[in-house]
Amino acid sequence: MHTDYLILGASHAALSALNAIRMHDADGGITLVTRDDCLPYSPTVLPYVVSGRSQPQRVFLKNEDYFARSRAELLRGAAVAAVDGAGSRAHLADGRTIAYRKLLVATGAAPVVPPIPGLRDSRFHVLRTLDDALALKSALGRARQAVVLGAGLVGMHAAENLAKTGAAVTVVEMQPHVLPGYFDAQAAAIIESAFRKRGVMLLTGHKVVRVEPAGSGCTVCLEAGETIAADLLLVGVGVAPVTDFLAGTGVEVDRGVLVDDTMRTSVDNIWAAGDVAQARSFYSDARTVNGILPNAVEQGRVAGMAMAGDPGLRPYPGGVPLNTYTFFGQRAVSVGIQEQGVDGAEVYAETDPDGCRHLKVVLKDDRLLGIFGINAAFDPGVMWELVLRRVDLGPVKTDFLVRPQETARALMSRLWR
Amino acid sequence: MGAYSTIAFKPELCDGCNACMQACGDAKGGETLADSRIQIVPDRGRFELALCRQCGDPKCVANCPAAALSKNEETGTIEWDGDKCVNCLLCTVGCAYGGIAYNAARGHVVKCDTCGGDPACVKACGRGALKYVTTARIYNEVGALEDLFVPGLAGCQGCNTELIMRHTLRRVGPDTVLATPPGCIPGMGSVGYNGLTGTKVPVFHPLLTNTASMLAGVKRYYKRRGREVTALALAGDGGASDVGFQSLSGAAERGEQILFVCVDNEGYMNTGMQRSSCTPYGAWTSTTPVGERGKGKSQDAKNLPVIMMMHNCEYVATASTAFMEDFYEKLEKALDASRRGFAYLHLYSPCTTGWRFPSRKNIEVARKAVETNFVLLWEFNPRDGLRLTHPVDKPRPLREYLEAQGKYRHLSPEQVAHIQAGVDHQVAFIRGLADGSARLPAM
Amino acid sequence: MSAVTEAKPKIVVCDGNEAAAWGVTLASVDMVAVYPITPQSSLVEYLAKFVAEGKLDAEIVDVEGEHSVLSVLQGGALAGARVYTATCGPGLAFMFEPYIRTPGLRLPMVMGIVTRDTLTPQSVWGGHQDAMSVREVGWIQMYCETVQEVLDTTIMAYRIAEHRDVMLPVNVCHDGNYLSYGAARVELPDGAATREFLGPPSVNWHAALDPERPMAVDPLTGGAGGPGPRMFVKYRKGHCRGMQNALRVIEEVHEDWAARFGRRHAGLVERYRMDDAEYAIMTLGSMTGAAKDAVDEARSQGRKVGLVKVKTYRPFPVRAVVEALAGVQAVGVVDRSVSFGWNGGPLYQDALAALSGALRRIPAMSFIGGLAGADLTVDHFHRVIERTARLAQDGQPGETVWLNEND
Repeated sequence: MHTDYLILGASHAALSALNAIRMHDADGGITLVTRDDCLPYSPTVLPYVVSGRSQPQRVFLKNEDYFARSRAELLRGAAVAAVDGAGSRAHLADGRTIAYRKLLVATGAAPVVPPIPGLRDSRFHVLRTLDDALALKSALGRARQAVVLGAGLVGMHAAENLAKTGAAVTVVEMQPHVLPGYFDAQAAAIIESAFRKRGVMLLTGHKVVRVEPAGSGCTVCLEAGETIAADLLLVGVGVAPVTDFLAGTGVEVDRGVLVDDTMRTSVDNIWAAGDVAQARSFYSDARTVNGILPNAVEQGRVAGMAMAGDPGLRPYPGGVPLNTYTFFGQRAVSVGIQEQGVDGAEVYAETDPDGCRHLKVVLKDDRLLGIFGINAAFDPGVMWELVLRRVDLGPVKTDFLVRPQETARALMSRLWR
Repeated sequence: MGAYSTIAFKPELCDGCNACMQACGDAKGGETLADSRIQIVPDRGRFELALCRQCGDPKCVANCPAAALSKNEETGTIEWDGDKCVNCLLCTVGCAYGGIAYNAARGHVVKCDTCGGDPACVKACGRGALKYVTTARIYNEVGALEDLFVPGLAGCQGCNTELIMRHTLRRVGPDTVLATPPGCIPGMGSVGYNGLTGTKVPVFHPLLTNTASMLAGVKRYYKRRGREVTALALAGDGGASDVGFQSLSGAAERGEQILFVCVDNEGYMNTGMQRSSCTPYGAWTSTTPVGERGKGKSQDAKNLPVIMMMHNCEYVATASTAFMEDFYEKLEKALDASRRGFAYLHLYSPCTTGWRFPSRKNIEVARKAVETNFVLLWEFNPRDGLRLTHPVDKPRPLREYLEAQGKYRHLSPEQVAHIQAGVDHQVAFIRGLADGSARLPAM
Repeated sequence: MSAVTEAKPKIVVCDGNEAAAWGVTLASVDMVAVYPITPQSSLVEYLAKFVAEGKLDAEIVDVEGEHSVLSVLQGGALAGARVYTATCGPGLAFMFEPYIRTPGLRLPMVMGIVTRDTLTPQSVWGGHQDAMSVREVGWIQMYCETVQEVLDTTIMAYRIAEHRDVMLPVNVCHDGNYLSYGAARVELPDGAATREFLGPPSVNWHAALDPERPMAVDPLTGGAGGPGPRMFVKYRKGHCRGMQNALRVIEEVHEDWAARFGRRHAGLVERYRMDDAEYAIMTLGSMTGAAKDAVDEARSQGRKVGLVKVKTYRPFPVRAVVEALAGVQAVGVVDRSVSFGWNGGPLYQDALAALSGALRRIPAMSFIGGLAGADLTVDHFHRVIERTARLAQDGQPGETVWLNEND
């Protein structure tokens, strides 16, 4: 079979690209392939499937009607096995071949299983697919002693869900605090405190050296010597781009697929976007994998416009770390980078005495580099825009630090006009 | 996907009274102003706005991992489904307007739902700072109508005449005989070349002189045969006010059932920007050049719409493409009136090429013409008389309009004063007609 | 004014203007546009009256000038209407812009020209100068001799104009003052019979302003490069072909008219006492009556003179003229107008061109008379006959003779 635009993947980056292509090219054939048998969904929703907040049959991002109206074909249960870059063809695991004019790699990432001795011989969960979520959800009720490896978003969500079921939960994290990369130690402490209050054991700065199968569960052995018995083990130490099928195509791959500012890979008619891509950072020329949902949406849009030849395309401004995280009814939001390694950074941080609210602002030359808050009112979307536009906050700096939400809203409202 | 109605905000009219926020809070069952989905924020003595823009390609929707947000294709509103929302706040990362935000009292994000098309905030705003703009209705209605011109009419860059042509003919529809006398309109290719047509309706070049007469013949015969056909003219000001005026006046006097649209770009722009009787005083044209002695046109413009009104036509109106809602209302009325008698629409249409301003500024110049009272938007019918449809009580300084155009670059202060006096006189005269106090001007 | 002899008149006594109005009525015209001008005014008054009285069921458009008269009719015709108007002199001049456009649009319509001399010198009286001034823009022009011929020709003109091989507008010319105001006994053909003779209007099958079959009427054509130049030539040649086809169609229509209504008018040229003529005079329009009287008198005196009357002036019936004059030694051509460029009359000029195709040289001379309402009497024609007789002898054409110069 043949298509003009072949999109490998069907999650946020892929759907965003589909939308962008259709905005410019009403007629070109578009085919999406997904390894899942179901309609597209977001990996980000999976913790909520686990918790029961989301009904698994209602998490789909788009329905059949959407693809029909977009005149795009969605091939489900179709894992890509290899790409023949020279021949502009993709080979599917089931033997089918799809010839394409332009290819978008939006295959996302897969959970990393760390090389811990004994881990692969033990039963453990990961959380990346709907099947993973359903498996974890069903294990949840039975677990009495749960161990979570990794205090990232997946791990922390799982820990919260497990704690709510009454299980004893231990989180093991190599870094000195939870949610490294998004929050500093001070902010993390507030989060950690909320978990500890609910009986979750947080073992930060600890390394697992061995896992031993034990009955239906396992024993987790730490470098420090302790061992923790677990009837449920979740590995949430991170994800890595899925790129193996690109071998031999000439597409340059580092940690992820290397792309330029239009999301084009080193091969002319192949683009990549989302968690699989390694694109320029907003803050430096380095290319990083910035595997978060808003970036996937943005990169998918840029890639789609570039593929369709949309003249309105503006280059990708570079990735900005962004995240939102809610835990036990509290909200943590991070936009941008911390001050570490930035010459001349100004840092303004405040934490309420009761530890309920925290705000930290990182500026350089009165431009916003990052803003981080726990239960602090500001709009991350507005802040992201202030970062990207390098808006001079000098004239409103005092107001901004006192009332970041109002001040930033006023600024953007004016700037949009 | 069509266009949608939106809540528009004019910060210069907002005094921060917060009535809108109060109304929104009340409408949505909030306790404090913080519960309002519209947020007025102070901005150095003025006020700005955080409100959902109901984006066409909404990032909040794209960012939602749980499919809890969706754009309603019919209303354009971005709808939030509380059953699906997982409270992850990623939508707030997608919004650069502060239009969707976490509400502590509710414990989840909230956003504007336009109160189902009747927003409480707008009704509460006593200063006109908030307006529910329903222009989209026009674009959707017109967009659903067939475009009866060929694609790719060859107008100058930035010209708004193509806009006028396409929108008018879409609305007037296929049961039309279209006359486009020599000028920019057929010059763009509306009649076609060498055996090819430029429209999907019967179309012809009349002579520059006889547009109204030829249409009268067409219309009379169809009427005699009992067929409802619209006789439509898309003419320029030269063909209407100068050499074609006799036939125009005759047809108006006889009450021929014609819809005559005069696109006034103040001169013979198609033939090289020569002066017409609609060219304003002081304007440079290629036949009123500027030099040692020449200072642009030395006579005032003929006020053709007023003259047409004096024919007691079934309908006469002036319009501007900077005010499309106003234009559309008048087009509707004119079309209706043309089934009973002569309907005349005078459209002020800035010419990027002949008036010497950047092509991107066409609508801006058109708007300034109205906002400085250089032209007035009004309508007339024999029963109700003249009515100002967009009265400008506090006009912007005339120089803002004049300085926007190269054709007035040479004006002396005396010439500006002359133009200002003409504007003042026109305002007094038209307003006098509107309120019944006018006397005919001393000509 | 008219002496109607019965409720549905068969015989009336009327002038040429009323006869034209009867012709329009009998031709079942759909639309009339009018603007008054001497000596045409009573014609449009009759039309208005006939409409008011219900005799003529037509849309009547009282416009603000002749320019709009023809413009309204172009619109009406493009919508499918059978249309009529009449004008003359300054009105025709004012109408010139739409006038020159009408034949190019191939719109079959009929317009009476109640001929009048053109300004200036200021004049309101008859003469052919107005019609002659527009002779080269592509209308068919026919000149009538009698009131009856005005009526009959007005009807026949529609069948000629609407003939598919022609599709051109026709001027039915009748002399201002002499025919416009001169009354005569006239037979009105039966309405049903004329309707059958003409058939339904066939006006805009080729070019229409009709939403049911949308098209661009007369888009820009020509210019260098592309299909423009050859398209333009195609249209021009088609127009010329229509004019030449009209020569055949005019004769056919006149034949059919004679067969149906019993009145025979020469379609192209009339030969009067030409059988053994040694020389001839050539005439146009109402002057022919006096000219025929003069020829009769000359014949009774033994002079072998004949007369050739040109009815169809445009297209010029070259072959018919040459055949009619084939046997004569000389021809005297009488014009009621002037060709300024040739110091003679326009008909003379055409005759010279036509005779250049004759097998032998036939000398011709130009006579100009009857300008601005001046009489052309039998005496004037005797002078023409005498001078032409001399020309037949010596073959030396003299200077143009201005017949009313010494009146």
